[in-house]
Amino acid sequence: MGLLEVNDLHTRFQTDDGIVKAVSGVSFSLEKGKTLGVVGESGSGKSVTFLTVMGLNDPRHTETTGSVVFDGSEILGLGTSQMRGIRGRRIGMIFQDPMTSLNPVKTIGWQLEEAVMLHNDVTRAEARRRSVDILKEVEIPRADTRVDDYPHQFSGGMRQRVMIAMALINNPEVLIADEPTTALDVTTQAQILRLMIKLQQEHEMAIIMITHDLGVVAELADDVLVMYGGRVVEKAEVHDLFAKPEMPYTWGLLGSLPRLNATAERLEQIPGQPPSLLRPPKGCAFNPRCPYVFDRCREELPDLRAGVVGEGHSFRCHLADEDRARIWDAKKAALDAAEGSAA
Amino acid sequence: MVYFLIRRFLWAIFLFFCATVITYIIFFVIPSDPASIACGTHCTPQQIVHIRHSLHLDLPIYQQYWLFMWNLVRHGSLGFSYVNGVSVRWIIGQDAPVTASLVFGGAVFWLAISIPIGIISALRPRSLMDRFGMIFVLIGISAPAVWIGLILAYIVGFKLGWTPIAGYCNLIPGSGTIGSCSGPAQWAYHLILPWLTFMFLFAALYVRLIRATVMETMSEDYVRTARAKGAPGSRVLMQHVLRNSMLPVVTILGMDIGLALGGAVFTETVFQLRGLGSELIQSANKDDLPVVVGVVVFACIAVIIFNFIVDVAYAWLDPRIRLE
Amino acid sequence: MSELLAVEDLQKYFPVTRGLIFQKEVAQVKAVDGVNFTLEQGETLGVVGESGCGKSTMARCIARLLEPTGGKIIFEGRDITHLNRSDMRAVRRDMMMVFQDPYASLNARKRVGSIVGEPLEVHGIGSDQDRKRRVQELLEIVGLNPEHYNRFPHEFSGGQRQRIGIARALVINPKLVICDEPVSALDVSVQAQILNLLKDLQQDFDLTYIFIAHDLNVVRHVSDRVMVMYLGKPVETGSKEELYAAPKHPYSGALLSAVPIADPTVGRARRPVVLQGDVPSPLNPPAACTFHPRCPRFVDGKCNVDEPLLRPAPGSTDHEFACHFPLERWPLDEDEFRRAPSSESVATTAE
Repeated sequence: MGLLEVNDLHTRFQTDDGIVKAVSGVSFSLEKGKTLGVVGESGSGKSVTFLTVMGLNDPRHTETTGSVVFDGSEILGLGTSQMRGIRGRRIGMIFQDPMTSLNPVKTIGWQLEEAVMLHNDVTRAEARRRSVDILKEVEIPRADTRVDDYPHQFSGGMRQRVMIAMALINNPEVLIADEPTTALDVTTQAQILRLMIKLQQEHEMAIIMITHDLGVVAELADDVLVMYGGRVVEKAEVHDLFAKPEMPYTWGLLGSLPRLNATAERLEQIPGQPPSLLRPPKGCAFNPRCPYVFDRCREELPDLRAGVVGEGHSFRCHLADEDRARIWDAKKAALDAAEGSAA
Repeated sequence: MVYFLIRRFLWAIFLFFCATVITYIIFFVIPSDPASIACGTHCTPQQIVHIRHSLHLDLPIYQQYWLFMWNLVRHGSLGFSYVNGVSVRWIIGQDAPVTASLVFGGAVFWLAISIPIGIISALRPRSLMDRFGMIFVLIGISAPAVWIGLILAYIVGFKLGWTPIAGYCNLIPGSGTIGSCSGPAQWAYHLILPWLTFMFLFAALYVRLIRATVMETMSEDYVRTARAKGAPGSRVLMQHVLRNSMLPVVTILGMDIGLALGGAVFTETVFQLRGLGSELIQSANKDDLPVVVGVVVFACIAVIIFNFIVDVAYAWLDPRIRLE
Repeated sequence: MSELLAVEDLQKYFPVTRGLIFQKEVAQVKAVDGVNFTLEQGETLGVVGESGCGKSTMARCIARLLEPTGGKIIFEGRDITHLNRSDMRAVRRDMMMVFQDPYASLNARKRVGSIVGEPLEVHGIGSDQDRKRRVQELLEIVGLNPEHYNRFPHEFSGGQRQRIGIARALVINPKLVICDEPVSALDVSVQAQILNLLKDLQQDFDLTYIFIAHDLNVVRHVSDRVMVMYLGKPVETGSKEELYAAPKHPYSGALLSAVPIADPTVGRARRPVVLQGDVPSPLNPPAACTFHPRCPRFVDGKCNVDEPLLRPAPGSTDHEFACHFPLERWPLDEDEFRRAPSSESVATTAE
């Protein structure tokens, strides 16, 4: 039994235009100390899934069903005060834009101390001591003086480190990182990712890394969820996913990446755009864009099923196993040839 | 930051000059003859000439202006009324407390009403409370202050007899010559209707403003971070939302008070309060330039001081400005 | 092949003022500090760098949306650096820009047909009917439905809006298109569509591109030559093959090393070089080599004293870099990266 078990999670939002089906049946399991990569584009439901896990959606307009079991107990639908005991203490979350995610009129020391004192019965002085310690751990230079600075006095990379510090200060068991490096420069991203790996080892923490960047997933994740149209469309261990992806959307994603060492003249492109969650397509959500679509795809939603590799690798697609294997082998050969010609 | 404040101060002086010069120029563009007004109806032409000379009205504008400035800086004097020769400074001194009582008291009222309504409306959009608040806003913005004042005076003051309908009482017993009543209780009692009238429009505007800023702040990323840390809703509201959403309110509050001190004309007229607004109107009708200029000077200074206070308050509230 | 654009020692400094009454200039932000390059017709120059490197400012200077503080811009053999507005108008027919944010760069209150047709209107080309026809032609070329002529931007997705921006840039047949991060704000699956479209259009209409991006993968895919910028200066330029296969400047190496590789086996086998610290402020750039505080190969006494100038790489015609201790080969593992070559090898590479 994993540390975090999510089963058939559905989240629907009431909006003026109708009901938005943001998450439609997501299930996964997260083991202690491991990293789960969640890949998807806009409208895939990747962020909403974890906002739901944390109970951060606006309760007035949101309808949630399913089950979220954390460390053996159900936390979905938990009362707000009990949920608050988990948020920021046993599960921490960091977000995409460090510029706007910190309160501009309070010092970072104040904000860190708040994180401590919300969950621990300690003095202010003790909270401050812990704040300085965690700032040192996230490699902020001169932590003892910088703790009294305001967010606007830090650079983007430093602010993200502060966010990480704030999420980690109570030693949570899970860290949910929602696109933490998307707004940062690539060299800063490398610093932050390396920091996260280091912290994960030191704190024995599980990480959920939500991103649209397959490269980040390849570098960090143990297991990967590929999400599309509010559902998990492929789930696999990371090496398996990249070696033998099992469904057309994943093929499209991998094929459309420009690569450092390939010389393809044209990138493989997925036509169209991500689906509307207000009026999702009938059947498989990917069917309007899928090059291999046939009638059944437009009628029936494919179940998440295991492939030839085994239970560890599941996906949603109606194509027969042999067809998929054949298509992927052809694509792989083309990709390898492109890379080979560059060498 | 010191640079910033000194620059502001220098600008303030420049603006002061501009405002007074323009007032003078306008006065001279209007066809009028204060001398004959000052003299009265049964005046001979020689008397008018004599009065004109003693009031320095035969000098060119810039000389008159220079005299005025010199008086102001050297003696702190604003001249004397053309109509009754009374020191303008004394007149202002009598009227200013009236207007100030009205404005500050009104401000307390309007904040006391608009802040809770604004916050609740923002927290529960589209609820009954929110819709009630919006109706209140609509009335406050559409209904003229005169109308509200008269309605209140008629119903509450006249028909029900709960409060007096006119007049002003001094706050501190024995200060000033206006009114035969004095003392804090009488003072407040006479001002209740004027306060309600005056604050109506502002309360409406501020409900709208506060609702908008609170709603905007609630959707900010750092509020989401605070919730993700496990903070309860009340703490999120008090510590994270309110301080940030009050910044624009503070700015506008300072400006509104500064402007209103220049004279809340309608309210003062309806309730016969001898404040700067009604004084200004009456003096302008009588072409009494020194009094008009005196009120303009006072209003100018009030606006400048309050804007300055707002700048300082803003810098204190927002560390991004403070540390530039 | 003719030379379409030549930029010589382009500079753009923004003044920082202080003062009580009269603002006095006390410092300068050197956003662009000496950029040189030439661009042949039909070529694509990729400009890559991180925040604060000046790539967007440079693009705006070339398009004369900002006035350069110094240097020269020569377009089609004509010095356009200080051209007055009416003369510049004519030049603008040949030089168009595509911007990053597909949501902000289109006027939400105008219809698509009007947005795309605006350049035609501004330059007084064709009658209303001609313009409409041309706009619909462009809409089709960029992959949109010409019948959507009367729709508003908010009715389109991000990728479609970017196509509208591209259509607008191409409607008057420019020679040069400056693309400022055109795909950064788009979803990955849509990025590929736009990149393919840009390449197709380049072939069909003989366009020349300046392509600015921070994503090295994307830049490599579209460019012929690449220029790496740091704090307003180019630190390395070269053909994409040469620069990506054998970067010479440590910053280029660090950038390449920092890009995550979409292959777990390969990606995790290597140890990327991670730079310390943040990009310094262009208000107060470091002395001599501006990269020296973060450079893993920093040699005290040399790198912070002598400013390295752009010099050609051995055995190459157009691969240039500005470093005293360039990378010997590529890939380098982290230890070799951090070790500046000894003085003998410095002498050799200097030849």
